[in-house]
Amino acid sequence: MAPMTGPPAIDPALVRAAQHGDQIAMADLMDALAPYVGRVCGPIALQDGPDAAQEALITILKNLGGLREPGAIYGWARAIAVREAVRVARKAARAVPAELADVPAPGDPQLAADVRDVLARLTPEHRAVLVLRDLEGLDEQAAGALLAVPAATVRSRLFRARRSFRKAWSG
Amino acid sequence: MNQDWPMTELDPVRRMRVLAAATPGVAYAEKLIPAPFSAVWDAASDLEHQLPRMITDLRSFEITSTRAERMTARARGRLGQRASFDVVLRPGWCVMQSRFLIGGMAAAPEGDSTRFAFLGGLRLPGIRLLDPMLRAAAQPLALRPITRLEHRLQAR
Repeated sequence: MAPMTGPPAIDPALVRAAQHGDQIAMADLMDALAPYVGRVCGPIALQDGPDAAQEALITILKNLGGLREPGAIYGWARAIAVREAVRVARKAARAVPAELADVPAPGDPQLAADVRDVLARLTPEHRAVLVLRDLEGLDEQAAGALLAVPAATVRSRLFRARRSFRKAWSG
Repeated sequence: MNQDWPMTELDPVRRMRVLAAATPGVAYAEKLIPAPFSAVWDAASDLEHQLPRMITDLRSFEITSTRAERMTARARGRLGQRASFDVVLRPGWCVMQSRFLIGGMAAAPEGDSTRFAFLGGLRLPGIRLLDPMLRAAAQPLALRPITRLEHRLQAR
């Protein structure tokens, strides 16, 4: 699972205009960030992804004034998106223990459904670790800092999450 | 397998909720209109004709330039006040801004109906302080333009 290519660059002038209360710039910035925020929130919050992405974007736009360096906007938005996705998913209380009893059969043609199925068997925190490491390419230190847990915890969550995937696909 | 990770997309109404929640001092409302998206948006996006019907303080709204989805417009109020607006208009989405005013409309299909959102407010320094009070008081004001649009659609 190699990290995806990075999202398109955002013009720092757009960020600054939005910070100064330009409503159209805020809307443009939301359009620019929404696909990225959706990519982070989707695998963590699953069926609550739209709620999580909506909450994350509200927090991002409300706190935009606190972002000192416009060039850091994706990293900053990612931290907010991950936290909101975990919070919304936990609140929805759909988390189930990371035990894989009825995993989909390997080679199932509906691989996308498999991914969703396996993710659904993990807790939101495990899914957050998977997203940060495998989708976003963060190292354990950075992922731990973002989730406010030690790197060792990231390692153990990642181990369990990956074992779940391996079980699901290797049969 | 990256393309297999579940992604999340936000429809225009959810995006307008974000904008409303993040903008101090705005009135925001949404309503399910029992008409298909195309009928609702065809009417709503005809800004020059529809906006003065939806917002009764507005006497006219004239598009003065268009470049793809970006426009400029000149608005005139009932009391003779004038304002120049920057407008972004695309299917299901419209945001407008003048020096002192902001506005927005969004629509998304929901079954056979259409969820329609309306946002309006003032751009004033310090409005953030009044936000909790204004938001509650202004919600009915944002619902009125939607109701007028709905009546217009029913009359067709």
